[in-house]
Amino acid sequence: MHILKIEHLTVEVEKKIILHDFNLEIKSGEVHAIMGPNGTGKSTLSKVIMGYPGYHIIEGTITFDGTIVNDLSVDKRAKLGIFLGMQMPLEIEGVTNADFLRSALNAKENENFNLMKFIKKLDTTVEMLEMNKDMIHRDINQGFSGGERKKNEILQMYMLKPSMVILDEIDSGLDVDSLKIVGTSAMKYFEEEAPAALIITHYQRLLEYIKPTHVHIMIDGSIVKSGDSSLVEEIETSGYDKFKKSGTHAMEASNHHE
Amino acid sequence: MNKIIIENDIVVQTKLSSKVKLSFLEKNEDFIVNKLVIDMIGDSKLEIEYRNDTALKLDILIRISEGVKADIFEIRKGNLMKIQYRYDLDTNSSLSIAKFYYINGIKELDTIYLKGENSKIDYKLKTISTVREKYDITVHHEGKNSESLIETNGVTVLNGTIDFHVSGFVPNGKTGCVLNQNNRIVNLNEQKCSIHPNLFIDEYDVIANHSAFIGKFKEEELFYLESRGLSEAESINLLVKGFLLSNLELSNKRKEEVNNIINQYWR
Repeated sequence: MHILKIEHLTVEVEKKIILHDFNLEIKSGEVHAIMGPNGTGKSTLSKVIMGYPGYHIIEGTITFDGTIVNDLSVDKRAKLGIFLGMQMPLEIEGVTNADFLRSALNAKENENFNLMKFIKKLDTTVEMLEMNKDMIHRDINQGFSGGERKKNEILQMYMLKPSMVILDEIDSGLDVDSLKIVGTSAMKYFEEEAPAALIITHYQRLLEYIKPTHVHIMIDGSIVKSGDSSLVEEIETSGYDKFKKSGTHAMEASNHHE
Repeated sequence: MNKIIIENDIVVQTKLSSKVKLSFLEKNEDFIVNKLVIDMIGDSKLEIEYRNDTALKLDILIRISEGVKADIFEIRKGNLMKIQYRYDLDTNSSLSIAKFYYINGIKELDTIYLKGENSKIDYKLKTISTVREKYDITVHHEGKNSESLIETNGVTVLNGTIDFHVSGFVPNGKTGCVLNQNNRIVNLNEQKCSIHPNLFIDEYDVIANHSAFIGKFKEEELFYLESRGLSEAESINLLVKGFLLSNLELSNKRKEEVNNIINQYWR
């Protein structure tokens, strides 16, 4: 059983508090969806779990499988099994996808790394994601469309086999067909490998393919409401406005308490 | 593949077809300068390897004959070199040259004459600098519709510093020329580096571009690689290899050699 536990987390970015007294616990096999309007801190949450430089934890802890990761380097968090599928995956010149993945798996598995198994798994996953086979020998994300980049993130997830998956707006910039492939492939991984999963999204459409066990609404750096997938329908009907009001109250109450 | 190996001031090995001529070699005892003339008279590929463990001065002239398509790869390792190149390209000729350097200091002057119409040079220089390196690269577009692409990539480590001076000249009346410069230094130490890109153009009908960059690898790039489990050193290793080896067509043996050099510093 893998557990990500976030307790009383307050995060500052460029001298501005973005996350405020944030709490969340995700166990293996659970799929948590965090939804919320723009600028509410959702991507900050994903980056701070992964250890993005410049995101300062003022208070609170992030624990994964009993290890406090607050001060761990990014690669050590990855080696613990945490994976972040990024909203805007970067282009990296001169480094091919194949070299990158081989190096990453080598770093993870050391002497257990098996090149033949690697090639076989890569081939089947590329096929499942309906990616062009040539892309694996091209530079990371260079000249890739939005959809290809997101598929590449899912490909990396399958290859690295993480036990904690964070997908940050993996649906942004996807056409209908790519969304279906990315969504169903991610869900397939969740069903087969049962990682602890955190999905960050604005829209219901991704959740037609990825079925969350828990849904949270995040406003102004805190979770203001949690529930099951019926909460998604509530958001679709009423938008975030009514939660914004309750979110403000929650912040006020919290400040008053202090 | 044609091949020339130069060890210190001696050509120790040549394997040349009739399309490549090593026609002149002299030693000036007063200035301790060796002069080498290479004529490429037919479409061909050439590899030049320099190995020197003492300070060395060289003067090299490379001539590409009319209509010839030439491809040169140079690899240099060893101690301080002062080297002066002149490239003469005739009408409708093209030269694609790629250089990989790993030397304890270098001063290099490259003068490229695109003498003939439609002559074309694609010049790539890749270097790992551990001490001071200075390069002056000048391209003279003397033929109409001549094209130059100058790409210099350097990485500094230990006490390495790099100065790139790259200048392109187009005189009045030489229409249809294309000049491109792309000079980049990834500064992995705290030493000072400089790039001086110059375009001296006295003609309206010309396409000219230049870009220059001095800095570190992007924080986002490192984060992306590290988020997949690579340590900082492993990530830099991959980025350096990408930076220096992209667009280079190397044999497996050469690739391994260059990888081993990079692995010495970033592993």
